[in-house]
Amino acid sequence: MNFRKFHRKCACLADKVRSCVPQPPCHGHGHAHIAPLSESCRSGRLRICKITGDRKLCARMASLGVYPGEEAELLCPENGAQCLLKLQGTTLSLDSHTTKNILVTEI
Amino acid sequence: MRRPPAVMVAVVVHRQHVPLKNKQKRDNQPMTQTIHMALAGNPNAGKTTLFNTLTGSRQHVGNYPGITVDYKEGFFTHKNQEINLTDLPGTYSLTAYSVEEVVTRDYLVNEKPQVVINIIDASNLERNLYLTTQFLELGCPLVIALNMIDVAKDRGIAINPEKLAVLLGVPVAPIIARSGKGTDILIDQAVGQSGQQWQPRDISYGEDLDAAIMDMIALITEEKFLTGIYPPRFTAIKYLEHDDQMLKKGQQENSLTADILEEKVTQVSDHLLKTMDAYPEAIIADHRYGFIKSILRQGVQTQNFDTDRLYTSDKIDKVLTNRLLGPVFMCLVLFGLYQLTFSWSEIPVSWLESFFGWLGSQAETLLPDGPVKSMLISGVIHGMGGVLGFVPLIMFMFLGIAILEDSGYLARVAFMMDRIFRIFGLHGSSVMPFIISGGIAGGCAVPGVMATRTLRSPKERLATILTVPFMNCGAKVPVIALLIGAFFSENKAMYMFLFTLISWVVALLAAKFLRLTVLKGPATPFVMELPPYRFPTLQGLAIHTWERTWQYIKKAGTVILGISILLWAMMSYPELSAARKADFEQQRQLISVAVSPAILAESSSKSDAVSEEALTLRQKISLINRQESEQALRHSLAGKVGLTLEPISTLAGFEWRTNIALVGGFAAKEVIISTLGTAYSMGDVKADASDSLGQRLTTDPNWNKVVAVSALIFIMFYAPCFVTVVCIAKEAGHWGWSLFSISFNTIFAFLLATAVYQIGIRIG
Ligand SMILES: Nc1nc2c(ncn2[C@@H]2O[C@H](COP(=O)(O)OP(=O)(O)OP(=O)(O)O)[C@@H](O)[C@H]2O)c(=O)[nH]1
Ligand SMILES: [Mg+2]
Repeated sequence: MNFRKFHRKCACLADKVRSCVPQPPCHGHGHAHIAPLSESCRSGRLRICKITGDRKLCARMASLGVYPGEEAELLCPENGAQCLLKLQGTTLSLDSHTTKNILVTEI
Repeated sequence: MRRPPAVMVAVVVHRQHVPLKNKQKRDNQPMTQTIHMALAGNPNAGKTTLFNTLTGSRQHVGNYPGITVDYKEGFFTHKNQEINLTDLPGTYSLTAYSVEEVVTRDYLVNEKPQVVINIIDASNLERNLYLTTQFLELGCPLVIALNMIDVAKDRGIAINPEKLAVLLGVPVAPIIARSGKGTDILIDQAVGQSGQQWQPRDISYGEDLDAAIMDMIALITEEKFLTGIYPPRFTAIKYLEHDDQMLKKGQQENSLTADILEEKVTQVSDHLLKTMDAYPEAIIADHRYGFIKSILRQGVQTQNFDTDRLYTSDKIDKVLTNRLLGPVFMCLVLFGLYQLTFSWSEIPVSWLESFFGWLGSQAETLLPDGPVKSMLISGVIHGMGGVLGFVPLIMFMFLGIAILEDSGYLARVAFMMDRIFRIFGLHGSSVMPFIISGGIAGGCAVPGVMATRTLRSPKERLATILTVPFMNCGAKVPVIALLIGAFFSENKAMYMFLFTLISWVVALLAAKFLRLTVLKGPATPFVMELPPYRFPTLQGLAIHTWERTWQYIKKAGTVILGISILLWAMMSYPELSAARKADFEQQRQLISVAVSPAILAESSSKSDAVSEEALTLRQKISLINRQESEQALRHSLAGKVGLTLEPISTLAGFEWRTNIALVGGFAAKEVIISTLGTAYSMGDVKADASDSLGQRLTTDPNWNKVVAVSALIFIMFYAPCFVTVVCIAKEAGHWGWSLFSISFNTIFAFLLATAVYQIGIRIG
């Protein structure tokens, strides 16, 4: 199978990453930007764009319901320490190592 | 957003996955058709609650993920059908990332239960179905128990179970595990499914992965690679998900095939990384959620009314886990718990105290003199009474902890403490073991040490195992309560709070010390699901409180009673030589003959209103009696041990009788209080048989506030009890750690107690 065909078939992930970008402005910068969850400055709604880092982390996060395209709400930003993220029906407590690897955009 | 359609293709049934008849072989009862069912699902979904409801057993349930760490079996009969039910640890996925997942998966593939009841939290359907997709792939006969529909309803979520059942091709029964509502239908359905064969169902993962999976399946089927355990497609997917346990098993089974499969996976992964910047895991997860979403969208789940974006739980969390308010509130909760515990238990404790006092004086008057009497009074009544007298206090403490646990607050405590624990080289998952061991006061280090199984990093786990015994377990609480009650009665709750704080500080410092020296290593991530706040049920609280209290009583009546009697024997024998006894008898005679027979009769009467002369006689005789029993105790085996240790122990302010109790405490911490009771009732004849131990200690010249604090410190931190030591060896995998724990803790506790005593007596 050639590269292009593959890309078309599985574009859903890429779509999601792309759809993260043209979102309402954040921090008054005039354009939305993707940033690690650990750098989110205030509580509020956000969308998960990508999980980076270790491949185990990506799978573990997915089983907890954290995967690209999902919307979540940051309950208490801790800037570096443990933070609380509300997703669907659950509240997750995530530590800084994990939040550094979750790329989000505010919505 | 493009989503893969909900595809599910029934695949040919594989020969190897026919339900095993060997269960009957194992049970050796070929005719009775017991159905084997297993309960599986996400952590905190209510598996154990349902297990208890169905089987009538009392496994521990808590509003905290990861309560069950091992599987438990239970039996019940449903419409004349015998059913064997297994409660499995909660898991988020069937990929082997942690012990619980491995336990669950291994159980399913090795034991092959005839039906798996998948418990799903209806208020969080999407995430819970993620695990369900993997059960479908594994092919086990499945029934879905849609639990917590009450919670879902409160949140305005309506679920159409019939539709879900049709779309998944699996029976779905809405239930409320707490009340048992709907469980009848659930079990009917489960029994109906039990005849089914294992039949894996497929989810499409997009053309590329599907193509790779097909290739791998072909190879796996041809080589019969692990096909006795897993369906070929399941093996292929786990290979793609880079499942460590599966890769290892594969290498052991057939390293040639395993190498080819791994090669294939690497190719696919590289390709996906290049083209999509994602690992196969990410794509598989994405397709699974796509599959789930497409089902939910077909009218399975609807939001009935627009609830506030944040549920009440989240609003509470915004305050209770706040950076500043959170810890303040946590301290208030703990302090309030102690205040209530002490004030509510004061009256019942004093009742029990006077009851045992009365029992002692009854025995004193009714029984004939001799070793049996001495054993009953000193060994049994004072020994066990000292432990049992604290039952009301322990009970209120357990009730408080049960409320905190069932409401979900403990999980928040873990969340908040993680920040502090990290500084000391521990982990957020260490918090729960600390609390179970008695972090709030009143727990047990044995389940605490076992609860460290949720920790993944061996070094963090060891550091936790070695420091949890510093917490104030249920056996230490009576000693602490006794000493606080005797020497600091003005402000009991305050002192209890203070000593709890000290135990945490010391445990954390010890952990830091260990992590800086013998257990150096990096910190590992801490991710936890916080359960929603729930109203604890009265029944749940009653069961928790009673179970733990009963354990305490049972231990007092068996093990502690035994050790008390043994220690009584060690404190009574060898007896004084006949010559010495005769010597004391002669002294008594001498005094008695010196007075008139009238006064002699008066002094031995029960009356309190006696003449001065009779009173002096009484005092003189009791002085001789005391000297005799003290000599006897000194002469006994235990006394000799205590006296041998005295030159060292006086550094920390402990006299030889305290030493006996402390040595007894190596066996079990409850023994400290019972032995103190025995030692101070034997060596102290002047006191009334009905005097409580607290009263005895306050009047003893060898005890004062400084000694009390020094003794408390030593008792809190010295060697863990024998059972804990065995448990540490088992969990740490080496006896060396147990020995380390005994010697390290004892030396450390002694140095600390000595420092406290030496500084204390100098300040005054
Ligand atoms: N409201 C409500 N609460 C429930 C229901 N079923 C269980 N709970 C509560 O959910 C919490 C978790 O229950 P457990 O039975 O310990 O959950 P588990 O699945 O065994 O959890 P782990 O052993 O940690 O995997 C407890 O506080 C239960 O009281 C229900 O139907 N409705
Ligand atoms: Mg459980």
